[in-house]
Amino acid sequence: MMNKIQQILPWIVLVLAVLYAGQRVVRPERIESAFDLERFRQLPVSASGRTKPLDTVARNSLMKMSGRQSIQTDEGTVSAIEWYIELITDPEASVQRRVFRIDHPDVLAMIGLDKEKRTRFSFEELRIAGNEINRQAGLAFETKAKSRDPFQRAILVLNQRMSLFSELSQLLNPYLVPPLTSGAEEWRSFVTVLNESPNDPDAMALLTILQDYRAANLEGATEEEYEAGRLSFNTSLGKFAGLIERKLPYEARKSRYEVIFNQVQPFIIASTLFLIAFLFGCFGMLSSQLTKKEWSKSLFNSMTSLLVVALIVQTIGLVSRVYLQGRPPITNLYSSAVFTGWGCVIIGLIIDRQMKLGLGGIMASVIGFGTLVVAHNLGSSGDTMEMMQAVLDSNFWLTTHVVVVTIGYSGTFFAGFLGIAYVLLGVFTKMLDRELGKSMVKMTYGVICFATVTSFAGTVLGGIWADQSWGRFWGWDAKENGAALIVLWNLLILHARWGGMIRDRGLVVLAIFGNIVTAWSWFGTNMLGVGLHAYGFTSSTVFWLTLFVLSQIVLMGVGMLPMTIWRSKFAKPILPNS
Amino acid sequence: MMKIRKLLKPLASLQLTVVIFALSIFLIFAGTLAQVHAGIWTVVDQYFRSLVVTIELQIFVPKDVATIPGAIWFPGGLTLGVAMFVNLIAAHAVRFKFRKKRIGIILTHLGVILLLVGEFVTGFAAEEGNMTIREGETVNFVEDIRSTEFVIVDPSDPVDDLVVVIPERFLETGKSISNSLFPFRIEMTEWMANSQMLGPKDAPESRKGIADSGIASELAAMPLPRANGVDGSTVDAPSAYVTFFDGETRLGSYLLSVYINQPQKVEVDGRTYLVSIRFARTYKPYSLHLIDFKHDLFVGTQMARNYSSDVRLVDTTRNVDREVLIYMNHPLRHAGETFYQASFLQGDAGTVLQVVKNPGWLIPYLSSTMVTLGMLIHFGIRLVPAIGRRS
Repeated sequence: MMNKIQQILPWIVLVLAVLYAGQRVVRPERIESAFDLERFRQLPVSASGRTKPLDTVARNSLMKMSGRQSIQTDEGTVSAIEWYIELITDPEASVQRRVFRIDHPDVLAMIGLDKEKRTRFSFEELRIAGNEINRQAGLAFETKAKSRDPFQRAILVLNQRMSLFSELSQLLNPYLVPPLTSGAEEWRSFVTVLNESPNDPDAMALLTILQDYRAANLEGATEEEYEAGRLSFNTSLGKFAGLIERKLPYEARKSRYEVIFNQVQPFIIASTLFLIAFLFGCFGMLSSQLTKKEWSKSLFNSMTSLLVVALIVQTIGLVSRVYLQGRPPITNLYSSAVFTGWGCVIIGLIIDRQMKLGLGGIMASVIGFGTLVVAHNLGSSGDTMEMMQAVLDSNFWLTTHVVVVTIGYSGTFFAGFLGIAYVLLGVFTKMLDRELGKSMVKMTYGVICFATVTSFAGTVLGGIWADQSWGRFWGWDAKENGAALIVLWNLLILHARWGGMIRDRGLVVLAIFGNIVTAWSWFGTNMLGVGLHAYGFTSSTVFWLTLFVLSQIVLMGVGMLPMTIWRSKFAKPILPNS
Repeated sequence: MMKIRKLLKPLASLQLTVVIFALSIFLIFAGTLAQVHAGIWTVVDQYFRSLVVTIELQIFVPKDVATIPGAIWFPGGLTLGVAMFVNLIAAHAVRFKFRKKRIGIILTHLGVILLLVGEFVTGFAAEEGNMTIREGETVNFVEDIRSTEFVIVDPSDPVDDLVVVIPERFLETGKSISNSLFPFRIEMTEWMANSQMLGPKDAPESRKGIADSGIASELAAMPLPRANGVDGSTVDAPSAYVTFFDGETRLGSYLLSVYINQPQKVEVDGRTYLVSIRFARTYKPYSLHLIDFKHDLFVGTQMARNYSSDVRLVDTTRNVDREVLIYMNHPLRHAGETFYQASFLQGDAGTVLQVVKNPGWLIPYLSSTMVTLGMLIHFGIRLVPAIGRRS
């Protein structure tokens, strides 16, 4: 009986995981509204150089201002698109919405809102202090970016959010008017079109839709007025959307897909699955210690089921981004984090297939979850599919470079995390016996070899791209140097090993230092603010990076504690070194 | 034979390899941090193409956190590169025998040797310059924006101009220059290796009237510290106040500068000479004519989508006359040189192409293919069974 359960469990978990992921796709959250806002949010518009659905604009803007993709009110949740259409049709109501998140106490005090026990405020509340905010922002702007204090940074952020609010409500951005029947070739700003050619058919169609919505939702509108406005809104929107469908079929299709992508949020699903997989892995580890080998095997297999589903979901997410953006999978720090996790999960699954220990899977779930959390935090500042500067535009060498070098990062990280697992298991538990230790060292060594090849090849591909782009194979740029450091560090470990200078413990401790080198190359080099690759960074990144580096140093220190303190006792180093 | 081996043995050790790796890692790390305070070219010369580098300890701590005096000496990139080269050669001479299963590692190491040679060749033989072309203009020279020259042109011959070039190393404040090729004496009143130009309104009183002749006498040049690549100042823009004498007769004081696009006239005995300060030029047998420069933006943003230069390339020595489009990631290769879209003039009035001549440009391609292939073979053959086996 028990045997049966152990055999079936992984399959049950697999089915449940598929169901969990599937229901988000099959039954996405719909908007409860008598107005066809579903169709409205699918309308493609042009913002920051990319065609995207209004849904994305609404979500990203709200995210930028309030740190959330919806608004919580006493009456319930207001979705991003409901907020957006209110913003552009009913200014009186929209200035009452509490969408501005302010955390800095001095900023709150300056506006006179420090007595309030909340962190989100409405435009109206801020308008009173508008002049002072402007003056302070002006002062902060005059200060060099590096020497601004936290107050100045906070005030600039607030100022930016307020201008975003104004830009949106005044219909300056995004470019709403598509090139349909007017003869225009590009997307245009609604306000510009109304000023320049008031009879433009495309803009008029849009204006009708917005006026209908306004008429129906106006304060004091009668039942009949509401009903008439609603019907008219839905009909004219249907016509407009149909026209876009005919004239711009590609944009319309992509736009619809992106709305689904926004709703499904594949990376959120994947991170949930990683977390559950990690729990299964831990239980598997525990039960292997309680000499219940069958149970541990069953739990590990369940973990693998979860990981496979998570990997598929994450792959779909990555492929969707490639389709939506028309760019390689890695375009900024956000996507590099997602991709690094993806690479690590594959490495972990391969290792588990070879070694059947469950350790690869545990590592995969930890790194998979961790990188998605990092990505989520990096992505909270707006559109994660923004356009890139011309020099970083797509090119075969650039694409292969970022992909391969990111796999190299993944490998180095993976080896480092294996090292951490080795140290923690060895020092704090009795689990690390001779056999497990040997396997883990083998794994670490193998992953380092893999990481050496990929990080070298990735770096070289970057060189080829640089040579193609500006005639310099190697320019000693900060990011290039970072990549070279990873290669050199891996080579150092391998040669030290071959020379017999380090044994098992040395290998894992050095592998942990590889985490620091990789983190430096990945994030640290961007913080210097020099070179071509300095594409994005916030001061909180500095804090987290410092914390990470310190934690790794501590772990290395723990790993170097005398073997007599280790709770796992194994008499001699396992591998003979002549 | 045995003696040589004994001698080579310490040079061939893996311990030495590991030490070289460790030193290289520190050097590259320091060389990256140093770029915060100094320009990339300064750093490359000081750190990566030198025998010894003085690493200032300040680079490890931001200046606003703490001021740290002192510096350490450290082996430079050239030293470490040579050490790695020697270590590798010695290792193969002493230890390695050609066996089938070592083929991967031998290939890898040969690739590394070639890679080092390639960087050496690039360091010593590569030349970089700029071609700035306005729309509708034709240019047949490359400028080196890291060096300047003083030029005197005698246009009296209807067929050929007589051009005299004085390189930057002769240009110093207080120096007097005369030569039989031109009839006047040049007094360098003030030489500014880097400068800014001020208009008549902004010019301070003390600077007014230093120049009394030429087209720039209303302007004023102010000296600036040498560009170090920080704060966006990567290029030195020299200017000079210069006085010309015909024997003891003072002909006039001029303000010359790379900021001033056209040459200025000096007249002696009824003959006109054209003088200017400009970035050092190398004239080429070919010319580029800029038909059109395009700077596309993403819709509704100020973000560049593409830069492209539509040029006509004419080289009579090679019978070339064709139209080429140079844009991001699509350079033009001609006569051993490569032309990249690098920058543009204000208001999209023209293009700036980077011209690179690197005779060793193929070496990295070859060597890195060898290394990658070698590693794949090596790990492919040995990864699964061998863990930490010593050679």
